[in-house]
Amino acid sequence: MSKALEKVMDAVDIETFLICDNEEEGKKISLQMMKELGFKDASIVFIQHSGPGARVRVRGYVYKPGDRYNWLFEKNN
Amino acid sequence: MGFQKKKVLLAPLDPVHDIGLKMIKRGLDQAGHETILLPPDYSPEEIIKAAMDHNVDVILISRTLGYRVAEILGSFIDLAEASGLREKVKIGIGGMAIRPELAAELGFDAGFGPGTTVEEAVAFVEGREYVKESKGKNKIKKDMTEKYDYTFKNKTIEKLLSTIADGIIEYVKDKTTPGIERAKIREKMLEINDEAELLQLKKEYANLCDDIVKAYYTKGTLKEKTRQLSREELEALTTYLERLKNKMNPEYLQYTETNPIVFIQYGTGCPFMDIAHIKTCEAWGADGVVHFDPSWGARTEGFYEGYITHEEDGSIITYENLKIIKEALMPSSLWQVRAHRGLNTPETVLLAGKVGADLTKINIAYGSLGGGTDPERLTVDAVAAIKYAARFGMPFDVVTNEELCGVPAYKAFAGMLIVTMLGLKLGARPILQPLFCYSPEVMIGGQMSDNYVDFNAAKVMALRSILNAPIWCGAPIGFLTQTEDRVQSSLSTALHASLASSLGVDGISIASADEAYSGGPISAAARIDTLRATQAAFRFFGHTQIVPTKNSEVWASQIVEGIEKTLEAVVKNGNFVDALYKGLLGSREEGAYPGRAGRGTVKAYTFWG
Repeated sequence: MSKALEKVMDAVDIETFLICDNEEEGKKISLQMMKELGFKDASIVFIQHSGPGARVRVRGYVYKPGDRYNWLFEKNN
Repeated sequence: MGFQKKKVLLAPLDPVHDIGLKMIKRGLDQAGHETILLPPDYSPEEIIKAAMDHNVDVILISRTLGYRVAEILGSFIDLAEASGLREKVKIGIGGMAIRPELAAELGFDAGFGPGTTVEEAVAFVEGREYVKESKGKNKIKKDMTEKYDYTFKNKTIEKLLSTIADGIIEYVKDKTTPGIERAKIREKMLEINDEAELLQLKKEYANLCDDIVKAYYTKGTLKEKTRQLSREELEALTTYLERLKNKMNPEYLQYTETNPIVFIQYGTGCPFMDIAHIKTCEAWGADGVVHFDPSWGARTEGFYEGYITHEEDGSIITYENLKIIKEALMPSSLWQVRAHRGLNTPETVLLAGKVGADLTKINIAYGSLGGGTDPERLTVDAVAAIKYAARFGMPFDVVTNEELCGVPAYKAFAGMLIVTMLGLKLGARPILQPLFCYSPEVMIGGQMSDNYVDFNAAKVMALRSILNAPIWCGAPIGFLTQTEDRVQSSLSTALHASLASSLGVDGISIASADEAYSGGPISAAARIDTLRATQAAFRFFGHTQIVPTKNSEVWASQIVEGIEKTLEAVVKNGNFVDALYKGLLGSREEGAYPGRAGRGTVKAYTFWG
């Protein structure tokens, strides 16, 4: 995990607009994008397709409850 | 004026915009400084000339438009230097197009970006450090119940409730349950120091628990996906909180004195993540926090001990878990530990009281018709729990979540009012908790086909016409109106918050922008979204009222009428517990099913001595 990501309290949301033909395609692109960005635990929080593409909110969990949160052990926090 | 009077030139280096400078001019004038405001669209040369002609001490430039901003400001500073003005005069720049880093890079003495206050600019002129005033730092803990005397305006309903509540007290007086007995043992366990005696009590406690909890006391094992937090983690938490203490400068959500107290709900599964979320919400202005326990915990006899985390929704109730959460709270934060359903209701209220919670949550009707607990069991347990709430001086809300199952509001309110009357008779301070939700009742009945205002308003109006008691809308407000879209979700929450405020209620519980998302844990950022939206809505409406249509009055009358008829039916039936089984407070057809957890566990008091 990168040093910057260690500072994330729990999750990173990516909010964007994807050019795609339908919601299914938008979902595939969303998860592919998260994979390419290095998020192992990704899910789609919101997706709505209309016209030229899909408005999406995709989430990559950095820490989930019960994990060992590195920010808790960081002395400068 | 505590500072030397300054002569200040205010100049919009912009073709049109100068509203910010006008506001600052007023602040400087009020502070006793001499100001000269130039009109928009002056060139840098003209501004420099004006500054020299007036022999000013400070120049404040504003720039709203972003195009060529660096170039224009750079040339202004060059001119100021060339003219010899730069050495004698302090120059600040502000406006929508300005970032402090840019101002510093170009050589300005200060840069004020969007959101700069007039006070900040005045402090710059006076050469003193700006200290942001934080209303949040002076927050005080509020008691929602203090201004209410619980006088009944509707005497017919009062009489019916009194009969039912007396019947409940009579019904439970010679009965006990494993939940009540465990609470008694737990209290002894918390008070004694003798190891041998403690061991004996633990054995007695374990014997009253389900196997999954008994295994902890006999073998030290926990259920799957559950673990004790390590010493290293606990130490790290202490350090984290110690450092955080100095960084807390909380926001203040309320804009008027009539805006309600705002609660958030937490229960990530991990007390550390809960604390991290709570501190974030406190910083962003939440006034109170509500502890959510796991649903399996409510259907399991007995509590674990220790600092425990697990990987599912809802945070496990133990004395230790509650204690670390309590210790992390700001002194002004209200803290509620829910005990409205489940098999550990008395012990939950006992632990909440022992640890120092401010509020709890108890409702027999919801817990037994929508929460899965046997009606008789919860009735007996709830009376014991209410007695603990009274003993610890903890007001409790009576939530009406059975509405979400499909029970009509009037029936849910009848159940709520019964528990309210029971609470009053037992010396506690109940709080009414009507739901602000898009319930099955209104989906079918169409009361919200035009707007979300009227029926929610009708609920509050109906309750107000019955008795003088605090109202805390929940839980969360806007339930089933929010989608996974964070903007829609936050807006819906904020609008419901504004409606609640307009109706003059005392408290609200708000969701995060993740309310409708069920694919994973709620994120801290999603909590901030709705807090910020609520704050903005309070600012937008101020003292303005939202005016419901006449429908609200009609529906309020119907709700009161329905409550009365329901209570009459319960009185006629003669036994409250039996009325719950029979569906008088919510039937199977309406989606209310008497719970089965704990069925057959109520015993005559002599059973346990």
